[in-house]
Amino acid sequence: MAKFCWLVIGLMPILFGCEDMVELEKQSYVVAVGIDKTDQDGTYQFTYQIANPEAGSSLAANNADQAPSEIISIVGTDLMTTSSTANAFVTKQMVMDQTRVLIISEELARTDQFLRVIQSVARSNQIRRGVKLVISKENASQFMNNNDPALEQRPHKYYQYMLSRARETGLIPDADIHRFFQITEGDADLFLGIYATTIEDPKDVSGPEDTIVAGEIPKHGGNSTQFMGAAVFKEGIMIDVLTAEETRIANILDKTMKMDELLASYPDPVAPEYNVAVKYIQKNEPKIEINYDRVANHAAIQVIIPFEAEIIAIPSLINYSQVDSYKERLKKSIESYAEHVTRQFIKKTQEFYRAEPFYWSLYIRKFFKDIPDFEEADWNKQIYPNADITVYYQMKRMHFGKMLDDTHLNEVRD
Amino acid sequence: MNVNKKLSSFEMFSMTLILIGMKLSDTTPSLFAQKSQNALWYIPFLAFLIVLPSFFVIMYLLEKVQAKHLVNLFELLLGKLLGKGLAFFIFLLSFLMISLDSRNYVEQIKTLYFERSSSLIIFVLFCVVCVFGAIRGIEVIGYTSKVLIPFLTASLVLVIFLVYEHMIWERIYPIFGSGLQFVLKESLFKGSIFADFILLTMAYSSFKKPSDFKIGGLIALFIAVLEITFLFLIYATVFDYNSIEKVSFPFHEITQYVQLGDFFTNIETFFMVFWLLATFLRFILLLYLQTWLFGAIFNIDEFELLVLPLGFLSMVIGLIPDNSVVTELVYRNQLLDLLTPVLIVLPFLLLAIYTLRRKQVT
Repeated sequence: MAKFCWLVIGLMPILFGCEDMVELEKQSYVVAVGIDKTDQDGTYQFTYQIANPEAGSSLAANNADQAPSEIISIVGTDLMTTSSTANAFVTKQMVMDQTRVLIISEELARTDQFLRVIQSVARSNQIRRGVKLVISKENASQFMNNNDPALEQRPHKYYQYMLSRARETGLIPDADIHRFFQITEGDADLFLGIYATTIEDPKDVSGPEDTIVAGEIPKHGGNSTQFMGAAVFKEGIMIDVLTAEETRIANILDKTMKMDELLASYPDPVAPEYNVAVKYIQKNEPKIEINYDRVANHAAIQVIIPFEAEIIAIPSLINYSQVDSYKERLKKSIESYAEHVTRQFIKKTQEFYRAEPFYWSLYIRKFFKDIPDFEEADWNKQIYPNADITVYYQMKRMHFGKMLDDTHLNEVRD
Repeated sequence: MNVNKKLSSFEMFSMTLILIGMKLSDTTPSLFAQKSQNALWYIPFLAFLIVLPSFFVIMYLLEKVQAKHLVNLFELLLGKLLGKGLAFFIFLLSFLMISLDSRNYVEQIKTLYFERSSSLIIFVLFCVVCVFGAIRGIEVIGYTSKVLIPFLTASLVLVIFLVYEHMIWERIYPIFGSGLQFVLKESLFKGSIFADFILLTMAYSSFKKPSDFKIGGLIALFIAVLEITFLFLIYATVFDYNSIEKVSFPFHEITQYVQLGDFFTNIETFFMVFWLLATFLRFILLLYLQTWLFGAIFNIDEFELLVLPLGFLSMVIGLIPDNSVVTELVYRNQLLDLLTPVLIVLPFLLLAIYTLRRKQVT
């Protein structure tokens, strides 16, 4: 008996571990957090989208009419205290381990309040560094309420797949909290946030289809939420919005952005009224060479971008695959078109933003022996806006898909 | 358990690797980053080069004098009173170090995984495990290390593999970080992160051959330094120089950041298991060696009985500082700076005395 008593006492300390135990059933999983500005500085409106784990799972097939998520908004000073205030009407403890996105309204992002509120987000150890940063054109609460995907209803999977697919196509930048702090604290580059909206404002598109931002896509049907383009942050404050095409260029020029391939259309050189659909494949990183003149604090930057192209559609039906001179013209045309838009964009960053969103400060670093030296040279304000930049695209290969030749129009119409 | 009475070189290798290599996952990198920014990654390597001769000298002396362990060596060279006094001084320094270190680990466990539990309870449990492990003796510790080391290495390799895509190599530039003089000063004064190795010499006589100690220890030291340097390089390239100063537990930030494909997204708990095992093993080993040192100083043969009181004492000392920031940036930093000159100068002093004495005898 005494032995048994000792055993019980000896095993007691194991129960100490239960102090932090929270039953799965007693937690509410917040999948998305939205932050809006209020009239008063230092007070924000927080919106939480709480996932319903039972909806959409195969186990709960018989109660299929359950809502996949609940969205609540509450005013407060920071994320964590507000989430505990929310327990006045949310039944369970809100945890943010599973949070996938942080949605910031454009209005808030354009003020210096943004950096203050996001600092408090990073301090909490529930929010992970991989949480994506989305800037919504309208209020974040409105964005989250409007967002109503028909197919992928489970919100965590919706955000995960939506963002990863849009990333792959280069329509949006890779923007998580980790990168935001890296770039903002580094104070040498511009940060690009994901731009999104649920307000549709279709724009007439003449020319290539991606000179637009979220909300402007002329489309019918589908979810009204659009992720397209990028919000430009300079020193933690949003200053502008990039179109989808500019975002793609930024993705191409930035070696830290992982991008494999994207579909885009380029003007047809032989029949200018048509476009050629091209799959742009980036196998190698862009080569960025900087010649830095220490005395004049001036840099000459040469950018060479090797890429491959696969021609997907030739609506003009011109025989590019077999006529060498046409092929050469198409190659030159794609290269020069890409160079043209890239140069234009770079010029815009130099003159208008006076800083770059390509993370090129990485390449200038090796010219300095230590950080004080590097910071004094001031890449952001002194070197980049005055740098001479040359851009060359080099098409290494051109593929023509599985068809050798297109239908001959004149034979069909014969 | 069927355990060989004497330790082999592989057991020495495993113990040293756990003892020294664990430095990569605690707050040491953020301590280095405070002064040197992105140059933190080669500081361990430079610091190791600075303290390496001292280790060689100690091993050389142990072999020549045919001492049983560290205290025995001091006594043989310096005489009974002075030798014991010196050993006691080393005991005090390293005991303080371990107490602060253990507090540091308790804070990590608390802030990362057990937010609501009080530090006291975690500390008590931590000490119970360490005392329980340490009582079993050096053979069991060595054996356990040997068994665990493949798993620990595998989990570390997995972390490195997963984080590899987030590394941006250009971030190591500017190569001298905050400035060459700061980096060199930091390397010079932080050699003491390897000081735990000196404690291992207490176990010198429990090896099958003295060469087992030497070979296993040296190989493990080199591998541990490479491992630490590489992981610090990862921290410097994943976090940029401005962020690395602000992150207190870079290893855990990284395990939180990585994901295994789209399906396994929050996987830090998987790594936490191995990390926790290694942490326990490290402190069990440290506590045991400390107690051995204490026992040898005061001629207590049954020193294993002292494990419990010493473990308790180190817990009490560890609980004194208010919070982990103070522990890390103030006390531990000063203690490391204080310990390094001792670590560098002392072996050469002993060597000088040894050569003088030998001349007198002959």
